[in-house]
Amino acid sequence: MAGAIGAASDGFLARLKKGQLPAPLSAATINDAGLSPSALSGLFESQLTCRALDLEARRLGAEKRGFYSIGSAGHEGNAALAHALRVNDMAFLHYRSGAFLIERARAVPGETPIWNMALSFVASSEDPISGGRHKVLGSKSLFIPPQTSTIASHLPKAMGAAFSISLAKSQRRDDAPLAHDGVVYCSFGDASANHSTAQGAINAAALAAYRGLPLPLIFACEDNGIGISVKTPEGWIAANFSARPGLAYVYGDGRDIVDAVRAGKEAARIARHRRRPVFLHLCAVRLMGHAGSDIESGYRERAEIDREADEDPLLHTARRVSETLGVSAGDIETLYAGIGARVRRAMEAACDRPKLTTSSQVVAPVTPARTLRATRPGRLVEGAPDDARARAETQHMSRLISLTLAEEMANDRAVAVFGEDVGRKGGVYGATTRLQQKFGPGRVFDTLLDEQSILGLALGMAHNGFLPVPEIQFLAYLHNAEDQLRGEAATLSFFSKGQYANPMVVRIAGLAYQKGFGGHFHNDNSLAVLRDIPGLVLAAPSSGSEAVRILRECFRLARSEQRVVVFLEPIALYGTKDLIVEGDGAMTAVFDDLSGRAPFGAVNLIGDGDDLAIITYANGTFLSQRALNWLKPEGVNARIIDLRWLAPLPMDSIVTALEGCKKILIVDECRKTGSPSEEIIACLNERGLDAEIKRIASDDCFIPLGPAANAVLVSEDDIANAVRAMLGLSNKRAAE
Amino acid sequence: MKRSAVVIFPGRGTYAKDELGYLSRFHADKADFIAGVDQWRQDNGRVRVSELDAAETYAASRHATSLNASALIYTCALADYASINANAFEIAAVCGNSLGWYLTLAAAGALDPAGAVRLVDTMGALMEEKGVGGQLIYPFVAENWRASAANTKAISNALHDGKTAGEAYLSIRLGGMAVLAGDEAGMAAMEKALPQAEGRYPFRLARHAAFHTPLLSHVSDAAFGALPQDLFSAPKVPMIDGRGAIWTPRASDVAKLYQYTLGSQITETYDFSKSVEVAIKEFAPDVLILAGPGSTLGAPIAQELIRHRWLGLEDKAQFSARQKANPFLLAMGREDQRALVV
Repeated sequence: MAGAIGAASDGFLARLKKGQLPAPLSAATINDAGLSPSALSGLFESQLTCRALDLEARRLGAEKRGFYSIGSAGHEGNAALAHALRVNDMAFLHYRSGAFLIERARAVPGETPIWNMALSFVASSEDPISGGRHKVLGSKSLFIPPQTSTIASHLPKAMGAAFSISLAKSQRRDDAPLAHDGVVYCSFGDASANHSTAQGAINAAALAAYRGLPLPLIFACEDNGIGISVKTPEGWIAANFSARPGLAYVYGDGRDIVDAVRAGKEAARIARHRRRPVFLHLCAVRLMGHAGSDIESGYRERAEIDREADEDPLLHTARRVSETLGVSAGDIETLYAGIGARVRRAMEAACDRPKLTTSSQVVAPVTPARTLRATRPGRLVEGAPDDARARAETQHMSRLISLTLAEEMANDRAVAVFGEDVGRKGGVYGATTRLQQKFGPGRVFDTLLDEQSILGLALGMAHNGFLPVPEIQFLAYLHNAEDQLRGEAATLSFFSKGQYANPMVVRIAGLAYQKGFGGHFHNDNSLAVLRDIPGLVLAAPSSGSEAVRILRECFRLARSEQRVVVFLEPIALYGTKDLIVEGDGAMTAVFDDLSGRAPFGAVNLIGDGDDLAIITYANGTFLSQRALNWLKPEGVNARIIDLRWLAPLPMDSIVTALEGCKKILIVDECRKTGSPSEEIIACLNERGLDAEIKRIASDDCFIPLGPAANAVLVSEDDIANAVRAMLGLSNKRAAE
Repeated sequence: MKRSAVVIFPGRGTYAKDELGYLSRFHADKADFIAGVDQWRQDNGRVRVSELDAAETYAASRHATSLNASALIYTCALADYASINANAFEIAAVCGNSLGWYLTLAAAGALDPAGAVRLVDTMGALMEEKGVGGQLIYPFVAENWRASAANTKAISNALHDGKTAGEAYLSIRLGGMAVLAGDEAGMAAMEKALPQAEGRYPFRLARHAAFHTPLLSHVSDAAFGALPQDLFSAPKVPMIDGRGAIWTPRASDVAKLYQYTLGSQITETYDFSKSVEVAIKEFAPDVLILAGPGSTLGAPIAQELIRHRWLGLEDKAQFSARQKANPFLLAMGREDQRALVV
């Protein structure tokens, strides 16, 4: 009995030599599946090529010349899905999808999948998709955005991309990258199907379909019955997904290529023609363990491993090829040996190709390439309300934000605004007021209550040429979904060498100091999660006029530089009108009077005093201005450096703005730990600034309800006292 | 242990003065094969290739006509293919340039010998009878065979001027060379637009029509009328076509092969560069063998190797050094390298 498949013993070959082909799994013929003899042979070659690559990856891994060994062995049935779909049906693939990629490449003249995969296994900088940054399955020309191995985190964007197809069609966007009759495909394993991200995406797709919205999407669950070492209960996937409202269910046996093609075509038919999401349940086996480092015998009986190997999809296809096409076992051996030799030579040659060696080479695509994105004006709904009066009158921040969004939507039909309550209600705080009435429900719409789906929708829509503006209703709600920004949106350019980008402007209402609406989840002030993501831009305004100018710049960054931008809106300032005294209206502005943008990387300098400089942002700028106003009678002549940009920090601009000041106070409204002030101090010290630097920040605490919040947050008094202390003035209020 | 090889077949213009007598010089042992070609040509009122090859002097008006040149090249190239030492080389795949695609089909067994002669002859006759327009060549690369942005720009500008004046197309991507084609107005405009390079470019190819362009769509139509699909069968060796598509023995759809060969292969750009790229990347052979006659296709192949920095080669000098030390490209049209192949 041949052992399990592995680099040392090729179980497929051993069984083939012994004529040990498995019993048929289905009575279906190639004619039933609409497969020609040459197409069956082509699929077999894709499967054999994929296996040869897996074996070679293991060999090179053992020799420390290859760096990735999670393979596709046992899952080669997914070649059938590539056969059933069109090349331009966008595919978000999981890591066992080598055969899918090879089969799709086979349909496009001039593609070099063996060479490209070889380069990726050895992390060569010439790998055409990631440039040696990661082993990813991806290709620009094959409509396969790169994926790594994060668990099911690509499903929400697949849902978003599918949703965008009909949206683009209804808006007659002929420039959309995805065809109007296209289908989106995503794949994942049975273990990943349990992940909340997968469940969320599947739920969102099903809900959309339940509402009657078109969503041409195939969720392909390749069920091999085990996740690393933990088994999926028998029948769980079918029980879980076969009777969901809105979701069609198709089963196919991925071990039998003919049945897999039949099922794939059925799934494609439902998705393409009925525009419905389909759960394609594809049976598979897992061969060669989870990865090269996985010792499968440690948790699986030998007999069970052998039984799986007996059901190797390659053996099933060999039987099909033998019975249907009359190809002898000897000829199959010759074919396999030829492919194996080809792959081995390619892998050896790939080992000699260059690798990334410097930090600057590696880092380069963290920032996507600039692009010239043609914009076309957005159409107004017939009888849409006119904003002329609102634009000409004094408005507070939230209304100014909605007017800026309206301006962007009017200038660029690619802009779409969505989130919870942003539609008819116009946002919890009115920041999307009247946008839906002006631009219609196709461009301004409410989503379901699921932040992963909201962000996934944005990612997917961006893949299809939209400029999404998702809203996260409160900063605290981001945290359950932040991997959609961290692991997906921000990494896309990096893992695709800048070939793919998903530009967007994420609006998040957040930060503390709300009066009358307390508690942690509506006043969250934890920014750390947004500040350590390479490439992501984080901005926060400190007044209505700043909000307009910064938001415009955020749109420019997304549109022209393809950046993922987060615009953090301080809730407490949304409706604030006055700065110092009642009726001064200093926090409001007239939209029509506000021209231009706040340049990325440039701070907002308020005042020119030399006694001291306060570096702060958002509510901190508001509070600092007030505190300095109280200090005027004491002769304090200071300046405020309002950061605007919280990631990356505008350090050059900060240093320039500090010129002439020997005392620096950093006022950070967020927690001491993990907030911008930490990095500012570090950077100022690194630059050897000759100045006294102090900081005040809010406590490392959650925000309590009611007045107790003031006990843990930086206050005007705290700022005034810190200034006095630095300038050697007596602490009057404290003394009083 | 056998070395793996991709065999590359040459196109038109490779049987020149120096190749006269090629068949008698190298292929006296293939009398039956040559006689078969001769018989077919005699039966169809053509001059026998052995007679052409045995002529005392080379006459372009006789040897370089479409009908005769293609038959001569076919016979020499296929005879060369049969001469490759089967004990030393494993043929991983075959490909070719332009006419070389028909030779590829023949070598791979997608056409039987009679079918191959018929295809080559029919296409030669159609080109002679119906060929319109012309071709010129101009380098994408500088004299060191590294890519030249200025030349690429000049070619792009020339194509623009050619299209403005008449018809102009990229006919063949030939390694470091662009083969441009057009009608007379287009050709004249391109010649005018292209700056002189290396003392000989732009260089117009005598007796060449606007191959691989829509100007020959009537030739494609006529070819479909003249040649039936049953002439074709699945190849026995993988082939790489003029788009870089791989045709493997069992996965080839013969109807599609027929459609490609007589359809878009004739009317769209022949991307020989892509064929070579696919050959090296997807088959990673130990050597490339360039079948004779001639060895002029060696330069475009080398230029394509340099473009991909294959074997670390970055320019002409490095390629030459590598060839001297341990040749990767074995041209059977050169006696020194031929000796390493047969």
